Amino acid sequence: MSEQDVTEVTVTVNGTEIEAQSGEMLIAAADRAGVHIPRFCYHERMSSVGMCRMCLVDVDTGRGPMLQPSCMVPVSEGMIVDTESDDTKRAQEGILEFLLVNHPLDCPVCDKGGECPLQDQTLAYGPGESRFIEEKRHYEKPIPISDLVHLDRERCILCDRCTRFADEIAGDPLIQFTERGNSTQVLTFPDEPFSSYFSGNTVQICPVGALTAAPYRFKARPWDLEENESTCTTCSMGCRISVQSSRNELVRYLGVDVESVNHGWLCDKGRFNFEAVNSDERLTSPFVRDPDNQRQLLGTDWGSALASSAEAIRRAGPQKVGIIGGSRLTNEDAYAWSKFARSVIGTDNVDAQLGDGLPAELVLGLPPATIADACEADTVLVIGPDLKEELAILHLRLRGAATKGRTQVVQIGAATTGSDSYAQRSIRCQTGEAAKTLSELLSSDDPLAKQLSDGSVVVILGRSSVAESVDPAVATAAVIQAELPHATFLVAVRRGNVRGALDMGLAPGFLPGRTRISNPSASLTEKWKQIPEKSGLGTSEMLQAAAAGQIETLILLGADPLSDFPDRNLAADAIQKTKTVIAIDNFATSSVAQADIVLPATAYGEQSGTTTNIEGRISRVAQKITSPGSTRDDWMIATELAWRLGGDLELTSKEDIWREIEQVAPSHAGITLERVQSSEMFEGILVQQSSIDLALPVPKDTPVADGYGLRLISGRKLWDAATTTEQSPSLRHLAESPSIKVHPNDLQRLGIPSGTEVRVISTRATENLTVTADDNVQRGTAILPFNQPGVGANRFIDATAVINDIRIETL
Amino acid sequence: MGYLGGFKVTFMKLFEERVTTEYPKEKRPKPSRFHGRHVLNRYEDGMEKCIGCELCAGVCPARCIYVRGADNSESDPVSPGERYGYVYEINYLRCIHCDLCVEACPTEAITESKLFEFSFANRSDAIYTKNELVVGDDGLPQRQPWELWHEGDDLATSGWMRATASAGNPDYENRVGWSGELGYGTRDPELGQHDSASDEKPETLAHEHDQLEDVD
Repeated sequence: MSEQDVTEVTVTVNGTEIEAQSGEMLIAAADRAGVHIPRFCYHERMSSVGMCRMCLVDVDTGRGPMLQPSCMVPVSEGMIVDTESDDTKRAQEGILEFLLVNHPLDCPVCDKGGECPLQDQTLAYGPGESRFIEEKRHYEKPIPISDLVHLDRERCILCDRCTRFADEIAGDPLIQFTERGNSTQVLTFPDEPFSSYFSGNTVQICPVGALTAAPYRFKARPWDLEENESTCTTCSMGCRISVQSSRNELVRYLGVDVESVNHGWLCDKGRFNFEAVNSDERLTSPFVRDPDNQRQLLGTDWGSALASSAEAIRRAGPQKVGIIGGSRLTNEDAYAWSKFARSVIGTDNVDAQLGDGLPAELVLGLPPATIADACEADTVLVIGPDLKEELAILHLRLRGAATKGRTQVVQIGAATTGSDSYAQRSIRCQTGEAAKTLSELLSSDDPLAKQLSDGSVVVILGRSSVAESVDPAVATAAVIQAELPHATFLVAVRRGNVRGALDMGLAPGFLPGRTRISNPSASLTEKWKQIPEKSGLGTSEMLQAAAAGQIETLILLGADPLSDFPDRNLAADAIQKTKTVIAIDNFATSSVAQADIVLPATAYGEQSGTTTNIEGRISRVAQKITSPGSTRDDWMIATELAWRLGGDLELTSKEDIWREIEQVAPSHAGITLERVQSSEMFEGILVQQSSIDLALPVPKDTPVADGYGLRLISGRKLWDAATTTEQSPSLRHLAESPSIKVHPNDLQRLGIPSGTEVRVISTRATENLTVTADDNVQRGTAILPFNQPGVGANRFIDATAVINDIRIETL
Repeated sequence: MGYLGGFKVTFMKLFEERVTTEYPKEKRPKPSRFHGRHVLNRYEDGMEKCIGCELCAGVCPARCIYVRGADNSESDPVSPGERYGYVYEINYLRCIHCDLCVEACPTEAITESKLFEFSFANRSDAIYTKNELVVGDDGLPQRQPWELWHEGDDLATSGWMRATASAGNPDYENRVGWSGELGYGTRDPELGQHDSASDEKPETLAHEHDQLEDVD
């Protein structure tokens, strides 16, 4: 129904007249009017099916009252509804009695017991006693339908919520009703587990305890949970969640339904990686390198660890200090570090991105779009990573908008993606040549060219492959700016609070509030003692300088360049040649293990503050538990170090920091502490979107491939060797073992059978890997996922090259 | 009488029978529903009755019970079903022996013995863990060195009944349907309980029972 057709209608519910919109279901109208109608199958984010019959109410449309399911009846003018009539009550009692015929009364051992809609509604609307004495239906007690979800078919009331979610929302119809009548049950297909990235949502929406999550199994009961509303920072989507703990231990995250971001859905990575926060592997006290045995880290106290860190920073001097990372931090922490770097150390060598994102200029400067804009735009042009793998909930939102016909998704890229199934068009190009393909498309007489130039366009721009440099993405931005000036951008940088860190000035050449270093605001020069005059180095340049011996002290602010920087050789060289590496982190990652001083920081759930998502929306991160050992907040570490270097950040609390951010950052002006602490933060507050002047560099030409090599394409997977995934026992085995995927014809040409181990050679490394033939891979290319356990693609990548080629040889 | 009038009650009491006893030299018999130190019971086959559901912890007004559940292993289950009480602790510095935990327990796992004479030299001894609470292989409560057990303190530890029906009917009287217990077998109904041979139903309740005949 288009928007013009919507008219206001008046419906009488329990004697009160309420306004409703024509076309909407009676149950939704009643909800808005504050009249609760019991339900099991109805869910406001999914289509109505009328499966459970719990929402039967007396509806009179002029033909006398009759029982009708309110989730299937659209409102109409003059409708008279009674949700409390005797008939309604009898129907409700009857339905509940029927549901309980086969539902086992094992509530005491059921994870849902205590927060179970069936339990609650039986108490509220059900009969006091049951008349059934017959044996109930029996099935094998919980069967794992995936690595994360257990199914107990005895408890299932066949409401179709999980199966509808899997089919309609997630697009992974891997669970379905089987059999008929009394034997109807939800099941997976034979030998095919419910391996959806979104399987955890079915557990959250299950109205009984039929679907339970393995990581939460028997961890706590609902009445001993405490919860805080927060924002997930696993990726940069900023999904709103409820963080739940029991006895000072995080036990569960639930999605919170906000219109602007996640609609209540979460990906399994974000939902279940709370296990990492509780991990025994957490760093809980500072460490320093043993002077006698360079291979060993010794436990120490904060005083001496901070003193030696300050000494290393002082000795190096402002030009030879570099700070890498910061996207794990809250906005407040990032601001403190930004101020510490510039005002106290006097360096501009700061970068929150790890060489796998886009230049800060593009992230902050391109005309911005929101997620909602993307879902409403005529066309969404995706030139970037596989959204399903990197920004899973953005993929879900786009999929929803595209399948409902609200928007058309067009992709340009070298590899197949998870968006292919709902894209209007997926244009395949050579890796690194998306810009060329796009300008060819726009100058052709393809109807798509007209669709793009005439209608509204939101571009989701990112790095399609970490094995290509930023140049192709910059070139794409330049083409779009020139030929589609009306297009707005959603920049797909994926790491936690990277957007907020860039906003706070953790990027070379940028100060808080999206101002360039050459043009600081007046209030900033007043608050900050000094501001470097020249732009500093980004992560890539810093690591190159370090490898050349020009960086003496490197601070890793929650960064693991050995795993996350595209070029492992360069990162390893840089860390080895740097005199002092100071790591501030939660875990002993591969880079932290190489550091000289290790300072333990508080993790997610242990710190409060704000975070900024991919669209520039600020939302709250809440503290729920106390941090282990002597870990400290990142901003405290910055102020302590500043103190020891003879400076003072003049920041004493997170509230203090926010007040200062609001004063000095032009983009954050008007977002006062009061607003940040108000209920406005439920949906989040958008940062003022003022585009800055862009001076896009002229991109280099993509080198021509030789006949022997294969172009390497490397994107991330949802399940990889990321620290929080590795540290979550339920998630760590979900990453695939690395194998390089090549088109079968290419393999045939090389005379290598699929599944064998081969030697993979690049300019950087020679390693043995298993090769798999895959029809979906373009000829002449090879796909190796980034950051998988074992041999990751970062060993083969040369960060200075525009494109990386590899060769495959038999052993 | 004058000022002596005030002593009238005192003098009269001198010739009445004494109601106090010389505790601890002399001990009075305890009532059959006496609330003492808890025990965690086992089924006749030795399986623990506790399923780790935390209902006792949830209902406890003194917040003295800490329970955590865990998955039963298929080969060596601790209790029947999926879940068992992995941690079970009662802090006796806080417990007020109200017996609400006993009423809340869906499996008759936790009941109270009649032992009340126990003292501690330190606070951690006051926190009874599952090892101390669960009955021994003979079904009898384990006796700790600091506890003073008397004859009969451990008998009829599960002598309890549900006060009301799940529907909230205060006249409802449950049928005896409890499970067998290690060391005791299935206990006979007590006087006043349904199915008890010597029990005579008041007329007003008989009608109630006809209606509830098909329950459970």
